[in-house]
Amino acid sequence: MSSAQAEEVEKKPEEKEAQEAERTVVAAPKKTLKWGIVHIYSSYNNIIVHLTDLTGAETIARASGGMFVDAGRLEPTPYAATRAASYVMEIAKQKGIEAVHIRVRAPGGVKAKTPGPGTQAAIRAIARSGVIIGRIEDVTPIPHDSVRRKGGRRGRRV
Amino acid sequence: MSAEFRPEPEFMLNIPRERVGVLIGPQGSVKKRIEGALGVVLEVDSGSGSVRIRLARRPEEGGDPVALFKARDVVQAIGRGFSPERAFRLFEDGVVLSVIDIADYVKPSRNNLVRVRARLIGREGRTRRIIEETTNTYVSIYGDTVAIIGEEEDVRAAEEAVIDLINGAPHSAVYKKLNEYARLRKLGGLRPRF
Repeated sequence: MSSAQAEEVEKKPEEKEAQEAERTVVAAPKKTLKWGIVHIYSSYNNIIVHLTDLTGAETIARASGGMFVDAGRLEPTPYAATRAASYVMEIAKQKGIEAVHIRVRAPGGVKAKTPGPGTQAAIRAIARSGVIIGRIEDVTPIPHDSVRRKGGRRGRRV
Repeated sequence: MSAEFRPEPEFMLNIPRERVGVLIGPQGSVKKRIEGALGVVLEVDSGSGSVRIRLARRPEEGGDPVALFKARDVVQAIGRGFSPERAFRLFEDGVVLSVIDIADYVKPSRNNLVRVRARLIGREGRTRRIIEETTNTYVSIYGDTVAIIGEEEDVRAAEEAVIDLINGAPHSAVYKKLNEYARLRKLGGLRPRF
């Protein structure tokens, strides 16, 4: 499938070094992939696409559905999600992120446990942006015995 | 391929053992249909009922990661009592699955479960049918869960009706709400068009 050169590029640095020492060829060492994590928080009212490094503590880029549409009711739509995700991936490319893991969550807990309508659109946009996709995880918080649901004793009165 | 370790997107989930047979289908037909329609690979452990879902092709090579979510929903729907034909509606874009746990709303004693399920289904399936027809969804009541398949907005309306019924609302009140929803839905003034 691949030529000897292509194979060499794909080798791990240690293996490569050994090989290089033999051949005494000085080539720019191919670094390993630069990973990031895309956190997608998707509720019925908005969507937040948030790119961090692998620790999750350092933000690289973040966008929400509301940044791309004007009406509140349009914030969770697939269109807003696509725009938010492609905006984030744009910055990711500038910062040199080559591969991402995806973590999807709904509000969870006592609130909705199904992600909103924009989730799939956002994931599609990430896939289309050309980065490598690693793991996809659903990290919706699932309570093991939880707090009381909002709305009070007499429930939501419409 | 690359020497570097590249993790692959996948989902693991468990379905009840008695539903494994339905997921696989006669001569594996249902499983094959899911795999063919979505471009995924299902690895079913018939002993424990755990299912591993992988993409047939990596995302870089044209595999669609969204298909993974769809496959998960289809498998879960079948696990929650839907027939494969009804679960296949989830192949469409914008169709979602929602699972409500009755035990979240009432103490799951045997009596409560039987009573609530009976209220949800109604005489000869009347209540369930009304929910399905007014909101254009599919509803499956299985064990202590209620699963709903349909479009986002419709599923939410059906969910609300189901939760009201679980909490003890009179059927007439729920039907009224549902009819109002069906009316608004028909007028199209309900949801933003994407």
